[in-house]
Amino acid sequence: MTDVKVIGTGIVPFGKHLERTLVEMGAEAAFLALRDAGLSPSGVDAAFFSNGLASRLFGDQTIGQNVLWEVGIHRIPVVNVENACTSGSTAFYLACNMVTAGQAETVIVVGAEKMCVPEFGLINSGETEIDTQLGMVAPAGFALRAVRHMHEFGTTREQLARVAVKNRRHAAGNPVAQYRDPVSVDEVLESPMIVDPLTRFQCCPIADGAAAVVVAAPGAVRDQARAVRVDAAVLCTGNYENPQDLTKWETDYRGCRTAYEKAGIGPADVSLVECHDAFTISEILHYEALGLCGPGEGGPFVEEGHSSLGGRVPVNPSGGLLSRGHPVGATGVAQIVEVVSQLRGESGSRQVENARVGLAHCMGGDKAGDSKSCTVHIFSR
Amino acid sequence: MNEQSKSTTIQPVNPGTFTVPGDADIPPEVLGGYCRACRKLYYPRPRYCPFCLDAVERREVGGRGTVHSFTVVRTKPPLGLPQPYCVGYVDLDASGLRVFGLLDPDRVEDVELGTRVRLTVRRMGHDGRGEARLRPCFTPDERAEGEES
Repeated sequence: MTDVKVIGTGIVPFGKHLERTLVEMGAEAAFLALRDAGLSPSGVDAAFFSNGLASRLFGDQTIGQNVLWEVGIHRIPVVNVENACTSGSTAFYLACNMVTAGQAETVIVVGAEKMCVPEFGLINSGETEIDTQLGMVAPAGFALRAVRHMHEFGTTREQLARVAVKNRRHAAGNPVAQYRDPVSVDEVLESPMIVDPLTRFQCCPIADGAAAVVVAAPGAVRDQARAVRVDAAVLCTGNYENPQDLTKWETDYRGCRTAYEKAGIGPADVSLVECHDAFTISEILHYEALGLCGPGEGGPFVEEGHSSLGGRVPVNPSGGLLSRGHPVGATGVAQIVEVVSQLRGESGSRQVENARVGLAHCMGGDKAGDSKSCTVHIFSR
Repeated sequence: MNEQSKSTTIQPVNPGTFTVPGDADIPPEVLGGYCRACRKLYYPRPRYCPFCLDAVERREVGGRGTVHSFTVVRTKPPLGLPQPYCVGYVDLDASGLRVFGLLDPDRVEDVELGTRVRLTVRRMGHDGRGEARLRPCFTPDERAEGEES
């Protein structure tokens, strides 16, 4: 793709911010990203704002203009984006395309979500959808995959739990993660059963939060040393063919393969991954789709420490969704913030050594046993 | 509970996605779609065939099958479903289609991968606003292999 670089990032700590509004959190993330990029509001040519739930929870919509007005950004094109869990990473995809198309030189992406409200319940893929009406809640879809993966490949409950244990260990070094205390395999397995075999600590918690990044064309990059190159930005949708193989999303494999092709690299070139560990089983399936290990080998891969900091390819050095929490509209942007931080060498105690290539992966929505959306973005310095 | 509910006042969820047994006591089936031109079966039914864009007609795609995967949802249930409730994917004999659905919450201990199941339609939960609804629900099929109903 035409050169696009990330020149600024900002993130608000994820957690329960009962006293903060969605607009306030989004504006703070935007402010931090602008300051990090050394930009004034007039230096931004276009903006994308992602949010997943405000229309349902608060009756609010077209929020991006409100958020951006708070940081002096107006008049320019502002687009509001909803694409389930990939809302933020889809907004980023659109921003990159806008730069590549020559429609803008500098674009800001802001993702924000406020979802810690009473009686939130469980996320589903849409109230009126067939599966939702038949009891499909998000953890059930993943539990059904875990059951098959355990059956077909011998993946164990302990291996599933190890994803949560590893990500909590990583989160200890991440000041914006919601949960930073270590947990043991036993604690994960003994936490309340949500949907068999997934216990509470294997399901990402909800959170309020916001994140922002600024992308720019090469001519608009001032600080080359801290700029991080976008090597691929890929968005794809499910095929929804029947029957689906529950141990792999074709969408996931196709998205990862396309991104590697666009970036001209392979799995062995990746220094670190931020992936959509909405549930422990998700991360195991994504190892396989990303080609970090073979199909069915995800359980032993985490057990042997290959995805830990210090391992072959650290996955979710931020602590992932399992530790950070999952403010739906902010997550896809927060993953990119982490990858950029790692590639800049600014990640402190959770820094991946010699980080050269980073990958941000996200998936969202469920339809006909398939995923509605998958994004795979590759970055390098 | 009377699983073959004859109630005319209780409406089904997802109208047009399963047959509701009438007085003839014909076993319920999942309703998918069929494209005459492509001779292809679909579930769920798209409005138009993804290959030729012909209209896709409703077609029974089966009421008996095998459990491909299942799980028990133990958290607070949505839509007034029982706590806990059971869901899974069932591979339908008649079409080979893999469909997501509810499994009998009273028979959880009798379900494992490969369990033979048949579709029932029963009063279960509500529409999200408290109004009772009929839902399709697979239950273990005690009938011997190959035996006709």
